[in-house]
Amino acid sequence: MDTQQKCQMRHRVLMVSDFFYPNFGGVENHIYYLSQCLLQRGHKVIVATHAYGKRSGVRYMTNGLKVYYIPRLPFIQQDVLPTLCGSLPILRTIFVREGITLVHGHQAFSTLCHEALLHARTMGLRVVFTDHSLYGFADLGSIHMNKVLQFTLADVHQAICVSHTSKENTVLRSGLNPEKVFVIPNAVDTAMFRPDPSMRPCGTDEIVIVVISRLVYRKGADLLVEVIPEVCRLYPQVRFIVGGDGPKRVRLEEMREKHGLQDRVDMLGAVPHAEVRSVLVRGHIFLNSSLTEAFCIAILEAASCGLLTVSTLVGGVPEVLPPDMIVLAPPVPAELSNAIGRAIELLPQVDPFSMHNRMKNLYSWMDVAKRTEVVYDQSLRSDDDDLLLRLSRYYACGPWAGKLFCLVVVINFIVWCFLEWQQPAKDLEVTPDLPPPQAFADELN
Amino acid sequence: MSEQGRIRRKGYEKGDEEEHPLYRYVSDLEEQTGFPLLHTHRIFLKRRGLDSRLKVLILVLACLALVSRLFSVVKRGESLQWMMVIAPLLYLQWDRCRVEQEAVVVMPTLGVQLETVYCSKSVKRRFVPLHRILLPVINEAVTPTTCYSYLALLLRDESRLTLTFLHVRPPLSMLVPIRAALCAAVEQPSLQTAP
Repeated sequence: MDTQQKCQMRHRVLMVSDFFYPNFGGVENHIYYLSQCLLQRGHKVIVATHAYGKRSGVRYMTNGLKVYYIPRLPFIQQDVLPTLCGSLPILRTIFVREGITLVHGHQAFSTLCHEALLHARTMGLRVVFTDHSLYGFADLGSIHMNKVLQFTLADVHQAICVSHTSKENTVLRSGLNPEKVFVIPNAVDTAMFRPDPSMRPCGTDEIVIVVISRLVYRKGADLLVEVIPEVCRLYPQVRFIVGGDGPKRVRLEEMREKHGLQDRVDMLGAVPHAEVRSVLVRGHIFLNSSLTEAFCIAILEAASCGLLTVSTLVGGVPEVLPPDMIVLAPPVPAELSNAIGRAIELLPQVDPFSMHNRMKNLYSWMDVAKRTEVVYDQSLRSDDDDLLLRLSRYYACGPWAGKLFCLVVVINFIVWCFLEWQQPAKDLEVTPDLPPPQAFADELN
Repeated sequence: MSEQGRIRRKGYEKGDEEEHPLYRYVSDLEEQTGFPLLHTHRIFLKRRGLDSRLKVLILVLACLALVSRLFSVVKRGESLQWMMVIAPLLYLQWDRCRVEQEAVVVMPTLGVQLETVYCSKSVKRRFVPLHRILLPVINEAVTPTTCYSYLALLLRDESRLTLTFLHVRPPLSMLVPIRAALCAAVEQPSLQTAP
C-alpha cells in the first residue's frame, strides 16, 4: 500500500488521558466530542483512562465508544502514580487486542498519557499529543513538568495545541520543532447551547451578569471578590448569578455578607454541566475572570447562548471570539469593572440569535475532527525511526537529563522485549470490531 | 457408539482447527432418539514445554538453595530445617490445586452444571437451575496487567455475575459457541442447537 493510500485509510486511534468521564471538564469534553466525530467519520476510536472508584473495566458509551477504565487509582489531582514500565503490560495488551495504529495523548499533566506515549513509541506506533493548558516556567513544579514534557515530546510524530498562544507556550517549554505543532481550537456543541431570551428578567431594566467557573485562584475568584461590589455600587440595575464551587467560595460568601449583597448576588453552588445552559440563558453578560487560559470553552458556551462576554485578557482568550462579541480587560479589578460598564453600553446592539448562528458557523466539533484527521495523516507520513535514532533525540535533551531519558527508554525497550518473549503478540486475541451505528453506516455509504 | 439407545456424538475439537497454545476446546453432545440430553463444553489446559510440576519443583529447589546460602551467612542452618518441612507441604498444596479442565454441561429443561476437574482427579461442581438464568453474557475483564474475555451468567435476583470458567481464560473464539449453546437452552428449553 503506498503512502497516499495509507494516509486515507481508516485510523485505529487510542485516546489516552487521566481525565475522562465521569470526571467533568474541558479535556474530558474534548476527548468525548472528538471521539464521537471521528467515529462518525468511520475511524475506530477507543479511550483509555484510569478507574474512577468502582468504575473499572470496559464500558461502552454512545455510538459504541469503548472506554477502558484501567484499574489504577488516582494518586494526586486525578493522576495515576507514575511507574514508567508498570503500565506497559496492560497498555501493550490493549494496543494489540484493538489493533491500534495511532495513540493520541491528551494533557501534559496526565501521567497515564506520558506513559502511554512512551510505550506506543517503543512498540513502533504513531503518536500524537494534544496540550490543553498553559504552564509557567519559573516555579519548581513547572520546571519539572516541562522536563517531563520535553521527554515525551522529543519523540512524538505530531502535536496539537488549542490556540496559537498555547503553541508558543508548548514549543518554548518543550523545545519541540514548531513545524510539528498544529493549532486546532476547541469547539462547542451549539445544538445544546441555544439562546432563550424569555428566561431573562423582562419588564425591568435589570441586567444579569453570569459567572460559572470553579472558584479557585487560577480562575480568578479573588478578582471577583473585588469586582462584584464595585460593579454593584456603580450600576444599581446589575445582578450577579455565580455558579460553581471551590475553595474560594468562602471568600465570595464573606464579600456578600460584608457588602449586604444577598439580594443582588445569587450563589448557586456546583452546577452540573447538563444545567449550565439553563443558568447561562438567564443572563445578559458572561464574566470570565481567569488568570490563565489556553482557550476557554466556557466563553464559547456563553456566546452560543447569546450572552455578551467580558473576559480578562490572558493567554489564548483573544483568539476565541470576534471583537464585537467580547470585551477584554487586563486582570485588574478597576479595568474589569470598566469593561463591564462598556459591555452594559453595548448590550442593546447584541442579538442573541444572530450571535448563536455566527457561533454555529465558526465552531463545530466535526471541523475539529476533520482537522485532527489531517494531523493523523501527517503522522503516518512521518519517518518511522528505529531505537538508535530515537535515542539520539532523547540524548539531545540535556547533559544529565539526556542520559537519564536514554536509560528510561532502553529499560522500557528491554521490558517490552521480555513481554514479547513471555506472551508473543500473535498469541493475544484480537477483539472483533463493533459494527458502526446504522446512522453512521448510512452516512458513510 | 451407542449404549442403551443413547447416541453419543462427539463434537468438533476447536484445538484441531486453530492451535491455541494454552487451551483445547472439546464439545460433546449426548442425545437419545434425536432428543438432546447433555451438551458438554470442555476446556482443557495444555501442557507445553517442561511439565509445570517439574518447573515448580526446580523453582522450589532454587529457592531452598538461595535461602540456605543466606542462612549460612547469617545463622548456622537452624531455620533451614523448617524450610525443608514447609516447602514440600506448599508444593503438595499447589499440586492439589492444579486444574486439568473446566466444563460447562448444558442440560436442557434442567439447568447448567459448571465443573472444575483438578489434576488430582477431584471434581468441583456447581449446578445453576435453568429458571434462575436470565442471560449468558460475554464481557471483557481488565486487570492491572492484562485484559481478557470471560463468559458469565446473569442470574435473576442476584447482582453478582456467575462465572462459567474460574481458572481458565479461553479466547473469544471458544466462548462464542458455548454462549450460543447456553442462549439456545435458556431461550428454548426444549430445543438445543449443536455447534
